[in-house]
Amino acid sequence: MSSLFNDYQPEGFFDEVFSKSGKARPHYGAMLDSIGSLTPSDYSTRQKAVDAAFLRQGVTFTVYGDDQGTERIFPFDLMPRIIPQREWETIEAGLIQRITALNLFLNDIYHGQKIITDKAVPAELVLTASHYRPEFRGIKVPHGIYIHICGTDLVRDGKGDYYVLEDNGRCPSGASYMLENRNAMKRAFPGLLQQLPVRPVDAYGSMLRETLAHLAPSGVLDPAIVVLTPGIYNSAYFEHCYLAKQMGVPIVEGRDLILRNDRVFMRTTKGLEQVHVIYRRIDDDFLDPQVFRKDSLLGVPGIINAYRKGNVALANSIGTGVADDKAVYALVPKMIKYYLDQDPILPNVETFLGVEPKECSYILDNLDKLVVKAVNESGGYGMLMGPHASKKERAEFGERIKSNPRNYIAQPVLQLSRHPVFVDDHFEGRHIDLRPYVLCGDRVRVVPGGLTRVALKKGSLVVNSSQGGGSKDTWVLWDDPLDMPAETTPPAA
Amino acid sequence: MKYRITHRTTYVYSSRVVVSHHAARLRPRDTETQRCQEFSLSFDPEPDLLTEHTDSFGNLVSCFSVQKLHKQFEVISRSLVSLTPVLQPDPLQTPPWESVAAMFRDPVAVDLLDPCQFVFGSPLLIHEMPLREFALPSFTKGRPVLAATADLCRRIYREFVFDPKATTISTPLNEVLEKKRGVCQDFAHLAIASLRAMGLPARYISGYLRTHPPAGKPRLQGVDASHAWASCFVPGFGWVDFDPTNNCFTSLDHITVAIGRDFSDVSPVRGIITGGGRHTVGVGVDVEPVVS
Repeated sequence: MSSLFNDYQPEGFFDEVFSKSGKARPHYGAMLDSIGSLTPSDYSTRQKAVDAAFLRQGVTFTVYGDDQGTERIFPFDLMPRIIPQREWETIEAGLIQRITALNLFLNDIYHGQKIITDKAVPAELVLTASHYRPEFRGIKVPHGIYIHICGTDLVRDGKGDYYVLEDNGRCPSGASYMLENRNAMKRAFPGLLQQLPVRPVDAYGSMLRETLAHLAPSGVLDPAIVVLTPGIYNSAYFEHCYLAKQMGVPIVEGRDLILRNDRVFMRTTKGLEQVHVIYRRIDDDFLDPQVFRKDSLLGVPGIINAYRKGNVALANSIGTGVADDKAVYALVPKMIKYYLDQDPILPNVETFLGVEPKECSYILDNLDKLVVKAVNESGGYGMLMGPHASKKERAEFGERIKSNPRNYIAQPVLQLSRHPVFVDDHFEGRHIDLRPYVLCGDRVRVVPGGLTRVALKKGSLVVNSSQGGGSKDTWVLWDDPLDMPAETTPPAA
Repeated sequence: MKYRITHRTTYVYSSRVVVSHHAARLRPRDTETQRCQEFSLSFDPEPDLLTEHTDSFGNLVSCFSVQKLHKQFEVISRSLVSLTPVLQPDPLQTPPWESVAAMFRDPVAVDLLDPCQFVFGSPLLIHEMPLREFALPSFTKGRPVLAATADLCRRIYREFVFDPKATTISTPLNEVLEKKRGVCQDFAHLAIASLRAMGLPARYISGYLRTHPPAGKPRLQGVDASHAWASCFVPGFGWVDFDPTNNCFTSLDHITVAIGRDFSDVSPVRGIITGGGRHTVGVGVDVEPVVS
């Protein structure tokens, strides 16, 4: 083994690279042979070159509520995370199953609500989800698909088993970092990826475009697609521009769009041009001041009427946030059973619901052992890491749970798997997760790999980029290079 | 009883408006005791686009857009509505409120799913307010649900002052509770949030009152504009409307226009404009009985 890893210790955690005995796992062999021959200073030089390139190109992220300036580069660790084919095939099947069930669920609760009338899930949990939009019931959406782009977060526990931590069915971000990370790898280690059977991710832009084009109103052969952004102050503005560029479509703000005769038009230097599909990166609340928040200046008044009429398509659809509610997340295995009559391929993390009195008292009695999360927060905001919190913090959180139990869930603290990360001049283990991207168009496709997020602070279990996490390139390694599925195959006619 | 109703909404802008979009819920509902026999909208200037759909609470929504420059805009709805007397259950014969609340805890019976959506918090009435305390004196142990609601209605009427200057559309409920002042919308919200705090379903109703009272009866509060009241659910009977602003159950004087979880679901006319500078809104409602 190379000198870079001489002092590396898995310290009792499940390590992605090294087994308990300290031997490298077989799927990391070829990569270690190549990277491992570097000296620490050599490695460090390459890491610095990548950091500088990210800063120059503006591959940045905004952390809200932090004094150290708002925009910063999204820290990138050079050593890739590798997923072998066998594991990936399970992940892919599990994600396809899950998104299929979620879309059936959303279609159901916005129409007949059969899953509730059949008592497969409790009415209260669904009807009280704060992103549930009763005003949207009965509206037909293109092909019955609500979530077109999903970023599902997966974690591995101490035994290396994969679990779904949460589904992000509103505006999941991070795909641009997945693409940029791969580019950075190619620059830092020229030729390395060519020698290894790694599934490419660079088709994401065209896959996304195909997915969006599939939604276009019928009869429109060459749909005009746009990316709708809240603007330059949004934390993911870099990504909005990046994806627009990858797809070759315009990026617009709300004020660039105007409604005429229930159709959406874009103001251009050549006059108004009709828009057929909008990849919107604005939350429901701000999308249409006529229907949702009246004080929104980011949205497009009247756009919901155009959507209702089928004159424009939105991705993702309205009201998908119900599925992001962490208490509704707990029901996904039941949805899979109810709609597909299958057992989940990827299990949920055990979840206790504040709204169930028995589970609530269990949560309150075990605050020191659990992670408590507010059901509608994301990005690592509004949570309590029980074992790491002070007595006072736990007591305060307990009061919050008691005053609004529906708003909280709790999960056992998982010993997330770790991966070596380059720190100063050597490698140390850091906890990671995985966010693969799922696209639902004429078929469901999972981009091979995704964004591996790293909790850069030693011992931390919070990987969210908004909490100072970093990321890694993620390789899905195929056994037989000649057998690799082609990402860009055009869909069957 | 028949009424001819005219509801006029006028916007005057200090500078020109390029495009305006409006959504209106102005058509009186058809209910078991109410029939909307005629309904029409007229506009000045004429909108370039007019579409209609029914929202998920069964209200007719008319959407209209004016796409040419204008400095004022007026929409007038005219309707002819006939009412038959509402049969009220005897409040003392209704089930205890606790048993009604229990019916709305999971698992909820399939035929109660519709009222069930009115048990929880809604956009303007989030749950965390100390309303249970306010409601509790009315909800004594084992009290029939409609008797308890009538008592709540009476307490709001007695303890609160009708004062159009005290609140605006966006005054939060805890401020109303503190000042003990407000208008029909505040009192309806207060009643609804109190019922929900007890685990009971409650709906918000927007509508009209007859303008001139029958001879010998006092003029009711809230006649010159849209009025608002609340509705509670009695199992085996259905929704029972009550008006905390006037301390009564509704009958032949109240005309139902729209139903929702709170005001945000039913605002009669809401609009978004591009341009326009400052604007003023004028609303006039006229409800005349038709002599047959």
